Amino acid sequence: MGSNGKIIRKKDLNIWQKAYLTEIFKGLRLTISQIFKPKFTYLYPEVRFKPQPSFRGRPVLVHENGTERCVACGLCSRVCPALAIEVQASETELEKERYPIKFEINMVRCIFCGFCEEVCPEEAIIMSNEYELVFTSQEEAIFGKERLLKSTEEMKDRLEFLRAHR
Amino acid sequence: MNGSKTLLTSYVSQPGEIKTSSGKTLRTDEMIINMGPQHPSTHGVLRLEIVVDGEIIVDVIPHIGYLHRCFEKHAEHMTNYQQVIPYADRMDYVAAMNMEQGYAVAMERMLKIEVPERVEYIRVIMAELQRIASHLVAVGTFGIDAGAFTPFLYAFHDRERILDLFEMTCGARLLYNYIWVGGLSHDLPPQFIDKAKEFCKYYRPRIKEFNDLLTYNEIFVKRTANVGVLPKDVAINYACSGPMLRASGVNWDLRRDDPYSVYDRFEWEPQVGKGEMGTVGDTWDRHIVRMREIEQSVNIIEQALAGIPEGNVQAAIPKRIRPERGEIYARTEAPRGEIGYYIVSDGSTTPFRVKARSPAFVNLSVLPEISRGAMLADLVLIAAGVDIVLGEVDR
Ligand code: SF4
Ligand code: SF4
Repeated sequence: MGSNGKIIRKKDLNIWQKAYLTEIFKGLRLTISQIFKPKFTYLYPEVRFKPQPSFRGRPVLVHENGTERCVACGLCSRVCPALAIEVQASETELEKERYPIKFEINMVRCIFCGFCEEVCPEEAIIMSNEYELVFTSQEEAIFGKERLLKSTEEMKDRLEFLRAHR
Repeated sequence: MNGSKTLLTSYVSQPGEIKTSSGKTLRTDEMIINMGPQHPSTHGVLRLEIVVDGEIIVDVIPHIGYLHRCFEKHAEHMTNYQQVIPYADRMDYVAAMNMEQGYAVAMERMLKIEVPERVEYIRVIMAELQRIASHLVAVGTFGIDAGAFTPFLYAFHDRERILDLFEMTCGARLLYNYIWVGGLSHDLPPQFIDKAKEFCKYYRPRIKEFNDLLTYNEIFVKRTANVGVLPKDVAINYACSGPMLRASGVNWDLRRDDPYSVYDRFEWEPQVGKGEMGTVGDTWDRHIVRMREIEQSVNIIEQALAGIPEGNVQAAIPKRIRPERGEIYARTEAPRGEIGYYIVSDGSTTPFRVKARSPAFVNLSVLPEISRGAMLADLVLIAAGVDIVLGEVDR
């Protein structure tokens, strides 16, 4: 067979060769020996995969005692290649002067690239270890501040990782 | 691809006349079979329009574009050059590191940036790990298409260990956004070198095991040897590249023949098909070339791990990328062949034009040529041997 269009007839085999028994046994020997080796699969959803701190899951906003670190500079929104972030700034009495009155990330658009984390001057937006994102509608996929905010304690692992490796 | 007009009219039967979408009239004993776009053996959303005479293939017409995501147009509409990288990842999602590397090499040549040595070494390690991971997907799914399910699990088990290494480094398991223009997003974590060495040690015997299980299995050899033979001259005329070209006996590897990065410092050999089981350039050759390339990649990784210098991986990353007016074409060796980026700059902060020459797209074009005259059941194997990734074919 091939580009010349000729058909090559396979050699005539006797019945023993046709059964390919030796080859099947050779393969089976290897696979059966695997049965006694440790398993490497998870019984998801009972057992879940625990990502390392380096893992880039969905982006979250960090808050310290209820105040978000974000100063609404809009850099993350500008750098986001998928145009997933919308920030609206407003003024506040606090020392940082500006805060986001509205901060939305569209999780359907987000491609988990990590540019927002990289560019943020306040370490306010970071990648969490959450990887299970299920929505039943487009609206549900737009995460507002209430769903994005996480405390520094919750995000301790990632913050430490960033400090060590940036 | 043909326009929608021909597609619409193609199957309308005038009395005594049925046409394929390429306009050929069918003979009475011929028949059109559609394979895909939702067919597991097309490895994605590819539709093959097959004209068969009984069980013999008369013609194959690939229909592509189901996964078109406007990579090139997207690249023009970013706010800076760095942002193209996550999109480049998504072209060949099985070998994202190699896609990034191609883009980074092109941009660095355009900007005339010298990247630190450590960066080059890490890039080589990552690119070769990715090559192994990608070839593992290729040979694993190839086994499935031949009816061997177990090797697929073996391949994916080992691939998972490579992905663990990637996750440790940059946090992502599939689409990394790791190799940036001028540097890398993260330095290697301290335990990486040991883990990678451990992997190489663990993985070498597994190659032999895999070969015993699949490659030299008599049943597998009978299915693949002498099937889908791609002669040397046809391969060159169709501009095939990568394992596809090398399996046809052409000794051409961009890592050696158009050197980039630090590949010239390592000892390794490009692998060519020798026709051990049948004819040079048959489907089995394509498989064995991938298996041998995996071995070579392990060699390169071990040498690179031993010689990795110290340095700052982010030192050469430009703050603001604003190339002068001009254009560049740079090509690198991805697991599927030559990935080339043609980038035109108009002096602004976004590319004026990015054209990606994707290897799987070009390799796919040779499919009709090599499957004419084959049996219908062999087409699945021939298509798997080409090792297409539809994300990259359609971009
Ligand atoms: S999250 Fe960071 S980058 Fe984004 S607006 Fe807030 S401070 Fe700026
Ligand atoms: S991770 Fe990337 S895509 Fe997602 S919000 Fe951040 S910058 Fe945008």
